[in-house]
Amino acid sequence: MSLIHLEGLSKVYRVGDQEIRALDEVNLRIEEGEFIAIIGSSGSGKSTLMHLLGCLDTPTAGRMEICGNDLAKPSNDQLACVRNREIGFVFQAFNLLPKLDVVSNIALPLIYAGVPSRERLARARQAASDVGLGDRLANRPPQLSGGQCQRVAIARALVNNPRTLFADEPTGNLDSATGRMILEMFDALHASGKTVVLVTHDPAIAARSRRVIEICDGRITREYAP
Amino acid sequence: MNPLVSISIGLREIAAHKFRTALSMLGIVLGVSSLIATMALTRGIEDGTRIFMQQMGGLELVSIVNKEPSSRKFEFANLSPGRTLRDAEAIRRSATFISHVSPEISLATAVATDGGGNPDRRMVRGVYPDHFVIAMHQIAAGRFLTPLDLERGARCAVVGETVAKNLWPGIPPPLIVGKSILIDNRPFEVVGVLPLYEMEEQARARRSGRSISRRWDPFRQKNETVLVPFTTMFHELRSGAFPLDSLETMKLETLTVRVGDLDHFRPALDQVRRILDITHRGVDDFDLETRQDWFDRMESSVRAARLSGGLISAISLIVGGIGIMNIMLASISERVREIGIRLAVGARQRDIFWQILIESMLVSLLGGLLGIVASLGLIEILKSIAPAENVPVLTWDAIVFAVGFAIVAGLVSGLYPAAKASGIDPITALRYE
Repeated sequence: MSLIHLEGLSKVYRVGDQEIRALDEVNLRIEEGEFIAIIGSSGSGKSTLMHLLGCLDTPTAGRMEICGNDLAKPSNDQLACVRNREIGFVFQAFNLLPKLDVVSNIALPLIYAGVPSRERLARARQAASDVGLGDRLANRPPQLSGGQCQRVAIARALVNNPRTLFADEPTGNLDSATGRMILEMFDALHASGKTVVLVTHDPAIAARSRRVIEICDGRITREYAP
Repeated sequence: MNPLVSISIGLREIAAHKFRTALSMLGIVLGVSSLIATMALTRGIEDGTRIFMQQMGGLELVSIVNKEPSSRKFEFANLSPGRTLRDAEAIRRSATFISHVSPEISLATAVATDGGGNPDRRMVRGVYPDHFVIAMHQIAAGRFLTPLDLERGARCAVVGETVAKNLWPGIPPPLIVGKSILIDNRPFEVVGVLPLYEMEEQARARRSGRSISRRWDPFRQKNETVLVPFTTMFHELRSGAFPLDSLETMKLETLTVRVGDLDHFRPALDQVRRILDITHRGVDDFDLETRQDWFDRMESSVRAARLSGGLISAISLIVGGIGIMNIMLASISERVREIGIRLAVGARQRDIFWQILIESMLVSLLGGLLGIVASLGLIEILKSIAPAENVPVLTWDAIVFAVGFAIVAGLVSGLYPAAKASGIDPITALRYE
């Protein structure tokens, strides 16, 4: 069984009288352990697809199964549960909480997973040292560099041990050297067995993956292995 | 999600915006402190009333008072002789549950002097020996009036402390006994002197030499009284003014009885009522007034005071709640992105809801605690203003009630912001700058 299975998935936004088909009958299967890049220009629908895959949004029509959960007509709690346990997010803008230190930021998903506080701290520390930030635990995001912030975000995405990692333009706010380092971390994660889905507009970054899906006007126009 | 986590998140949020939170708490602080102060004040009045009642005579006392007869019996009203000595005698003989009966007449115009040029206009009262028990008198020197005095219509008098001090300044009570006093130019022998009656507060102030502030004194009447036998009063002092009265038919000024045993209070009242029905020939021109009635009357005025004070405090708590709601709404629109991040990592809508609600309750709880502190100061101020008998009394239930009310205000005012926050769409929130 596939890890992610989309069939005839559509997302329609209504702006006034106008209907905008952000996604138009998309079919897609992602197996466990794949390294996929979703590529497309701005407004192509790749972000919408990403949000649907990431359980941040609900489809207008079609079937969607993620990690064995039927999410065609999901409840909000069901979506939150999948986001918490099955998915890790890495964003372009890091999306860390500036008021919390590194450990608390990393431990955030564990709070909502109901993990007791001692275990939360231990696991967050472990995740921090896994991404090489074992010595910056008490720092807060404004005191860190962009690359360090993104590593905190990766640690946070991994702390609850999800099967899938979604990254939305993870190197967009970084210089090329730091970006390359972050991408190498994704390579390593893929090698360790995680499913990695990378959303980007940059063909060079997409080329690091094993399978590239090109989206244009809400449809998958091309699929190829780089 | 563990509520403790929500609490710690909330506390951190409060700590991050101290000034803003303090401002939003102000209404709650005022509400809670005024609520506690109001309750302390009314409690003080209640306590003072209770002490006063105890000192003025216990619950055993029942006054028989005049009443307008009901309209049905209005035409027969003049058949009733009214309250007379016959009532007193009938109650004494037939009402087995009544231990003491004290009929009383008085003469407010009497002038008492020491025989020299020391006039003192006092309330002279004609009483029975039972008056000693009913009015809760003690004796400082000499003796009280006896049944023999009454029977013989003896010209003897018992004087209150203030009277004794005015007429014979500087002379101790034992030496006053045996002196003669002129009441309306008739010589009476002073057979007894009453002690000085005062509130504990006054006694303490007097002993420590502090000046006693001029306040209403519940014992003034007792201290300024001159008591003579009932019969003497009638024959010597009253008959001239009311020549048509006989001792039996003369209307009494007050008639007070004492129930022997509080366990038989209701039966005792029934007995008295039945006896008076006969002596008043069926005309209901009398009523029995218990001290409980007095107490209830005072109680209801205390209740009214508490209600109005509580209402004002409640309004300020509501205003305080609105203040909290305002701040919570501002806080949410500042934290849209944070809420989005929390949702993205797996927070459920209800986690967000509870977090905002708990935060709002924390603010109000904190305001409540500050309100307690403020109320302590407020009560100190009230203590210096309120009369000594009615010192405000701080009670635990007042504190619990006020803080409970504050938390409820926080809960109610947090509901809307919490609902609003939990309805935030994660994608919009994550894009929010």
